[in-house]
Amino acid sequence: MTLSSAGAPTQYAVELQGCTKQFTTPGGGTYFAVRDIDLKVEPGRFVSIVGPTGSGKSTILNMAAGLLTPSTGSVSSFGSPVNGVNRRASYMFQQDALLPWKTVIDNVSLGLTMAGVGKAEAYSEARRWLEKVGLKNFADRYPHQLSGGMRKRTAVAQAWIVNPDILLMDEPFSALDVQTRQIMENELLALWQESGKAVVFITHDLDEAIALSDEVVILGAGPGSTVVGNYEITIPRPRDLLDIRDDPRFVEMHREIWGRLKLEVSKTYEAARAEEGEVA
Amino acid sequence: MTVLNGRKALKPAPGQGPAAARARRSNGTSDGLMRVYQLVLAAVVLGAWELLGRAGIIDEFFFPLPSDILATVWSWISTGYVFPHLWITLQEALLAFAVGAAAGLFLGFLLARVRFLERLFDPFLQMFNALPRVVLAPIFLLWFGLGIWSKVAFGFTLVFFIVFFNTLEGVKNVDRVLVDNARMLGASEKQLLRHVFIPSALTWIFSSLHISVGFAITGAVVGEYLGASAGVGYAIAQAQGVFDTQGVFAGMFILMIVVLIIDLLVNRLEKHLLRWRPVQSS
Repeated sequence: MTLSSAGAPTQYAVELQGCTKQFTTPGGGTYFAVRDIDLKVEPGRFVSIVGPTGSGKSTILNMAAGLLTPSTGSVSSFGSPVNGVNRRASYMFQQDALLPWKTVIDNVSLGLTMAGVGKAEAYSEARRWLEKVGLKNFADRYPHQLSGGMRKRTAVAQAWIVNPDILLMDEPFSALDVQTRQIMENELLALWQESGKAVVFITHDLDEAIALSDEVVILGAGPGSTVVGNYEITIPRPRDLLDIRDDPRFVEMHREIWGRLKLEVSKTYEAARAEEGEVA
Repeated sequence: MTVLNGRKALKPAPGQGPAAARARRSNGTSDGLMRVYQLVLAAVVLGAWELLGRAGIIDEFFFPLPSDILATVWSWISTGYVFPHLWITLQEALLAFAVGAAAGLFLGFLLARVRFLERLFDPFLQMFNALPRVVLAPIFLLWFGLGIWSKVAFGFTLVFFIVFFNTLEGVKNVDRVLVDNARMLGASEKQLLRHVFIPSALTWIFSSLHISVGFAITGAVVGEYLGASAGVGYAIAQAQGVFDTQGVFAGMFILMIVVLIIDLLVNRLEKHLLRWRPVQSS
């Protein structure tokens, strides 16, 4: 199921082997978030993880980030086991994760100043990034003074300024309106293409996953979900996301993958219905 | 039931919540006009008090005339009688506040970050907090004497717990995502404290600051009242000792004005330090 082409690199940017994460429920039972996850992300590749609600997508990402430790299995990054926070990775959260008490420029330069870079240098680098994401006139604003899209741009700059080898993105644009979201996706792709960074992108939107990725990983219905499908997206790059949905290859991939994802989505739906029935 | 339904129907539709209602209200009555109304209300109440007192309907001994109280306030101020007392009281309050807030902040951060210590100390802190603080005043008088330190110690016990519990809650309620984000950006434990926990807890600490400043002054005055050689509480106790109700009221009035001024300064400071916060409807 996983990538096993002949020239596979020995060092993956992110490698999860047989990772299971279980939680103890308040009632004393055990809840399996994900089970036996194998995931290999080569450096420079854009991999999306798609799955129905509650399939443990964020759990996988948090394990790759080192924010969660798997109950069993191992996580490694560029050949070395992830112990504590994964230093090679940046994380873009689904929620607003900017520090509300810091201005835009202080937020963006935070990763550098905490690493000991001088304030002047960190600021000039931050200005460069703000210009890149189109926010150079907003450096002194506070996050609450920005629109949702602008906050996401700030978060992009904040994550990229430390020049990570891996970008972990947890539905970063899900809170945006459709138009803003497409623009942000396009910008993300443009940034990524010139960077050679590995991206692990979580989404529940199959369109978004196919349009952006080299590879789409499908998770089964939760709880205790595992990888049920793995698809190579061969649409050539550079891609223009505003038109890609009409591309026949896109349509074909979408039909194929949706056929698989649909099964899991309806399983989740049935389970939710059944639970509701029990309660009622 | 019908009344209730009627009220419900009057509720603003979603989308035009309290903010819209307030906008309407402030449109209806401007701030300046409201000030006038407030002044009129104060004048009516004080005027009625004055008239009823002069007419002999309320006893001037227990409720001295507002004009007499103001005269006493004026004589306390013009003769300079009140200032040394006020200075002592403010010194005590300031020391109690500074030491209490510092200790509360330190222990609050420590216990919020070290789960073991929180669990260890929890029952004892609850016990001390349950103790009505006034009963400590006599023992503090014995321990620290009639000078300012017994009042500082008393004010400390009041301020400490408020700041401590608010800091503890503030640090524990920091948004998980902000912490994770800072950690992913490479924050050490010290940097987490500086960039995430302290600023986040500040909002909680400030909401407690108004109360704790008031308590610091309360602590000082009550302590003085129970036994002291100087301070506004002492001045009030002195006046009470000679049945000088005008003096008692004058002391109250002066304290009230001083606390209002301090609260105004705290508001200023809060506005400055929390300028990053969106303007909230509170």
